[in-house]
Amino acid sequence: MFNQPDLAPCPACGVPVQVEIFPALFRPTARGRGGEALMAERESSCFYHPQKKAVVPCQGCGRFLCALCDCELHGEHFCPACLEVGRQKGRITRLENKRMLYDGVALSLAILPLLIFYFTIITAPMALYIAIRYWNAPRSIVHRTRIRLVLAILLATLQIVGWGIGIYFLTAAFKSHG
Amino acid sequence: MAEPQYHRLTWGQRRRSGVIAFCCIRSSLWLASDHLLGLDSTGYSESYKRFYFRDIQAVTIRLSRRRLIWNWVLGVPTAICLVGWGYDLLVSRNMSLGGIITGVTVTLLFALPLLLNNLRGPTCVCHLRTAVQTEELPSLGRLAKARRILDRLRPLIAQAQGQLAPEEIPSRVQAWTAAATAARAAGEDRYVVDDPNLPPRMVS
Repeated sequence: MFNQPDLAPCPACGVPVQVEIFPALFRPTARGRGGEALMAERESSCFYHPQKKAVVPCQGCGRFLCALCDCELHGEHFCPACLEVGRQKGRITRLENKRMLYDGVALSLAILPLLIFYFTIITAPMALYIAIRYWNAPRSIVHRTRIRLVLAILLATLQIVGWGIGIYFLTAAFKSHG
Repeated sequence: MAEPQYHRLTWGQRRRSGVIAFCCIRSSLWLASDHLLGLDSTGYSESYKRFYFRDIQAVTIRLSRRRLIWNWVLGVPTAICLVGWGYDLLVSRNMSLGGIITGVTVTLLFALPLLLNNLRGPTCVCHLRTAVQTEELPSLGRLAKARRILDRLRPLIAQAQGQLAPEEIPSRVQAWTAAATAARAAGEDRYVVDDPNLPPRMVS
């Protein structure tokens, strides 16, 4: 049933399935390491556990860490505090699991209200503000261009210019009649 | 740390999880040098799940009845339209140009998706398992595409983990199942996984 090129019926329910398994399935779950106790005075101790032997410095803050405090992430070593700060501030991209797409928000604000044009008097400045304010904010992890921001700025500017011209002519018409 | 370069593997497909999410969330897959990225996008925000090649334990593909259901949903109106056409052509023979255009449009509205649904092949549900989660991959909803992507991932996973020889698989699966059963009997599992998307619940 495993690693077969074709579908085979599931022994439990009979539904055709294809199951591809890999060596990681049989790998035993790694147990967490505890720090080693300090044996000699000349040995460096962990910043967080002074009785434990330091094994590696943190690559974020440089503090010495014992095996217990060492958080390894793709060959880099961090202390728990740096890891948490890095995750929160988005400095460690590989830990980032959510992003706000300001370019999408700005473009939607510039396009969707066109259906009911009167809303654009509020939404166009909002779209322009968001596009400029978040010009340098991280965009999607997979799309890297600023085309949505550029389009949002163009459309919002056109709408604002349109409103400006409209208001100017409206005022002029009122003045000429009054 | 520099952001990894991603290459698109699949286009976004709706994630079926709740009424609102059904309308909004689109899930796609992206390939990096050492991991697979599952991306769920609402258009205004994105959430990411990374599956490192060295951690992927299994990929399962299960045939689903979605194509059959869509065939019924689209096939019945198509058949009704075609019967209507047949009746008009053979019996009444008084179709106007407007009637023909409307009839063709309505028939194509059902017939084209029906044709597409069958051209794209059987539907399936694909799951990816790691040590800590089992994740559905909604963008692999067709068997042909799921197999194509699996063929592309297989060498990358083998490069990260090594390969299982076909003859050793049954014995290793048997040993693994026996070990898991023994561990459970010995009470080593002090937690229960109720929901693969939630942390385990401690039982002792």
